[in-house]
Amino acid sequence: MSDTAISIRNITQRYGAADESSAVLALDDVSLDIKKGEFLCLLGPSGCGKSTLLNIVGGLFKPTSGTCLVNGRPVDGEPHPDKVAFVFQESTLFPWYTIIENFRIALKFQGIAQAEWDDRAMRALKAVGMASFAGHYPEQLSVGMRQRVNMARGICVETDILLMDEPFAALDEQTRMVLGEDLSQLLAATGKTIVFVTHSLAEAVFLSDRIVVMSARPGRIKTIINVNEPHPRSPDFMLEPRFSELRNECYALLRDEIRAAMAAQRDPQPQNAGA
Amino acid sequence: MSDLAAPMKTSAPLSGVLAKALLSPFWLRVALLAVVLALLEFYGRVYADPAFMSPPSLIVKAFFTKIAPQEKILEALWFCVAQISAAYALSVVFGVLIGLAIGATAFSRTAFLPIILLLFAIPQVALLPLVILLFGLGPAAKIAFGFSHGVFPIIMNVVAGMRDVKELHLRAARSMGASRMETIRHIILPHAVPSLFTGLRLGMTMTLLGVILAELYVSTGGIGYYTRVFAESYDPAPLFALTGCLAIIAVTFNELVRIAQNHLTPGKRRSPTLKIPVKE
Amino acid sequence: MERSSFATRSVQFAFLALVAGAWFLATETGSISALFLPRPLSVYAALERLVQTASFWSAVLVTLTTIAKAFAIAIIAGILVGYAVTRSKLATQVIEPVIAGLFTVPITLFFPMFILFFGIGTGSKVAYGATYAFFPIALNTIAAFSNMEQRYLSAARSMGASSFDTFRHVLLPGALPVLITGMRIGFFICFASVLGGETISSVAGIGRNIAHSAELMESARMYAWICFVILTSVTLNLMVYSFENHIRSR
Ligand SMILES: Nc1ncnc2c1ncn2[C@@H]1O[C@H](COP(=O)(O)OP(=O)(O)OP(=O)(O)O)[C@@H](O)[C@H]1O
Ligand SMILES: [Mg+2]
Repeated sequence: MSDTAISIRNITQRYGAADESSAVLALDDVSLDIKKGEFLCLLGPSGCGKSTLLNIVGGLFKPTSGTCLVNGRPVDGEPHPDKVAFVFQESTLFPWYTIIENFRIALKFQGIAQAEWDDRAMRALKAVGMASFAGHYPEQLSVGMRQRVNMARGICVETDILLMDEPFAALDEQTRMVLGEDLSQLLAATGKTIVFVTHSLAEAVFLSDRIVVMSARPGRIKTIINVNEPHPRSPDFMLEPRFSELRNECYALLRDEIRAAMAAQRDPQPQNAGA
Repeated sequence: MSDLAAPMKTSAPLSGVLAKALLSPFWLRVALLAVVLALLEFYGRVYADPAFMSPPSLIVKAFFTKIAPQEKILEALWFCVAQISAAYALSVVFGVLIGLAIGATAFSRTAFLPIILLLFAIPQVALLPLVILLFGLGPAAKIAFGFSHGVFPIIMNVVAGMRDVKELHLRAARSMGASRMETIRHIILPHAVPSLFTGLRLGMTMTLLGVILAELYVSTGGIGYYTRVFAESYDPAPLFALTGCLAIIAVTFNELVRIAQNHLTPGKRRSPTLKIPVKE
Repeated sequence: MERSSFATRSVQFAFLALVAGAWFLATETGSISALFLPRPLSVYAALERLVQTASFWSAVLVTLTTIAKAFAIAIIAGILVGYAVTRSKLATQVIEPVIAGLFTVPITLFFPMFILFFGIGTGSKVAYGATYAFFPIALNTIAAFSNMEQRYLSAARSMGASSFDTFRHVLLPGALPVLITGMRIGFFICFASVLGGETISSVAGIGRNIAHSAELMESARMYAWICFVILTSVTLNLMVYSFENHIRSR
């Protein structure tokens, strides 16, 4: 258990009862070990169960079968806010609290002593360059600023593990890249374990130590690609031929899956045919 | 449209700004009001039968000669204000408490909301004579009737506000380790605030309706007595003046709730637009 | 609304049973005077007697015709005014808040004036009911036609639709659900306000009869009338509800 942060064992997730026609087999027997301090990307066609897998690791619900261990302890459908922080697909800043209040409430939920709240919050806000907006309400920020703050909130709880579900999906290309650099630096500085879901191939290659490519529904692990490049990564990495090779490799893998998924949607077959 | 208008503003400096200010919806509304008053004045003075209609100037005069000097009428108006306040206070306290209780769990919501909707579907005016019979001719009946009108929109909007909390927010709170109580306190309740205020504003409108219905029904005392006397004596000016007083009271109460809403809604969120309670 | 289960249905049933049981118990044990709450059976007997009288049906007829007239006027005026207002953006900005603001003031305030202008007969109730129902219908008409997104209209025009085509195929279908909501709200407001007008001051109709039996302290008859009104309104609610569902699902 020493250097394994997250251990996913034979996880299967089905939505709806197995005998229902509307049942969806989202994940089919997925196993994966994630090392401490690793940056791991989940890449796969839309609807293949990436969010589902992340939610299971985060303890938001129990899988239909299989187990997930975080630091050697089973997750079992209960969140461990002291070990795992979540950044969701959309901004989950609460609109009725100001930015700083949003940070305080996250720390309060986590059970951190009140004396530390503002210190930690401001540190995280500075890290993403949003310190001067502490007193604003989320609605007064642009979408990109909101998502930066949202990411900072995930960082300020200072957990070892950070689960990020398409945190930059709403952002423009350039901001994504800049935030990606920030994230790479953060990883190098803190040694956090990060599991990151994205649809952007460049982002996946630029950020990851390993890229897990998943198959179309039911989600299975298709391939794992290693990216041997130390963190923090500089933008120059993107100019190397290795970068485009890896990117093309991912695209080739995904293209087949997406074509398969689209074909399945055109003439749908029973979801649980094989199960 | 606004892009097109922008360069014009710079080319026509002063008159343009002035015209823009005068053409703003607010001033146009003021102008509309002035035109209506002027027309009423003209019609009232020239054509109308003085037994039925008074020009606005005479109504204002009647307020000072026939309403303000009469202690009894002023007292009736104050009573009306007190009854509205009491009925509304009761509506708010019970509406919020019952709403919170019903909205707390999905079970209580599915079990009790249909009962509330059923009660709300009853035209309460049919019960007005009964309420007077039960509570007498005094303030108790008016407060009770105002309360029974005001409480339902508040309950329904509290429940709706709690129900419509975003799944994503709940999930985020859970992932941060929020307990059930913390989730209610920091997520569900703040989320319900705009909807609560919609309920409070509707509740105010309905409370006013209930109290005034009861006031008018009881024609042996209070406001109802004076409206009857003025109407029967074909003396419209004081009747209009008295009605005007009630309208001002109603508008003031509505405005108070609106101001409270603007100051107390956290995060500058807008309430769902004020709609009259829809029976679903 | 969420799916109801056996348990939630039981709670609702228990509530109704509790109300009925309390009524029975309170009257049978005599712990409440029959003047305030007559026995259920005597209310039923009174209702049975009532529906056999000609005066009952004439009162119902008076109220129904009053409601029908008031509602018809409110629909025509509300939709015409509402639609006319939305033809100009400025008019919408100026007038919509006025109508919405007036609607938060109980129109009941002005009821004595309706009596003054239109007399104590049905005319004042028609005018009062029509005025009250005018507001939600006009407001919903304004909302229905002014919220239509410009891009749909532009799209229709770019496809070469005439202005009648645009109205018929874009504006109207988009507006219809909101218009119907306005009419439904208007109808129930009309119903309640006509009843209220009759209760406060009139010479005929259901409301008058409720008030009259209260004045005569004939509680059983008053309760019979109230029960009739409640049953009618619940039935109407259900009818309108299914009618609306029917229209929407088309
Ligand atoms: N609560 C739920 N109930 C039923 N089915 C669900 C539920 N959540 C997800 N699914 C189904 O499970 C499958 C996987 O969903 P998931 O959200 O994990 O996909 P994803 O890989 O994150 O997709 P995306 O990239 O679009 O975010 C989808 O087909 C979806 O329809
Ligand atoms: Mg997802």
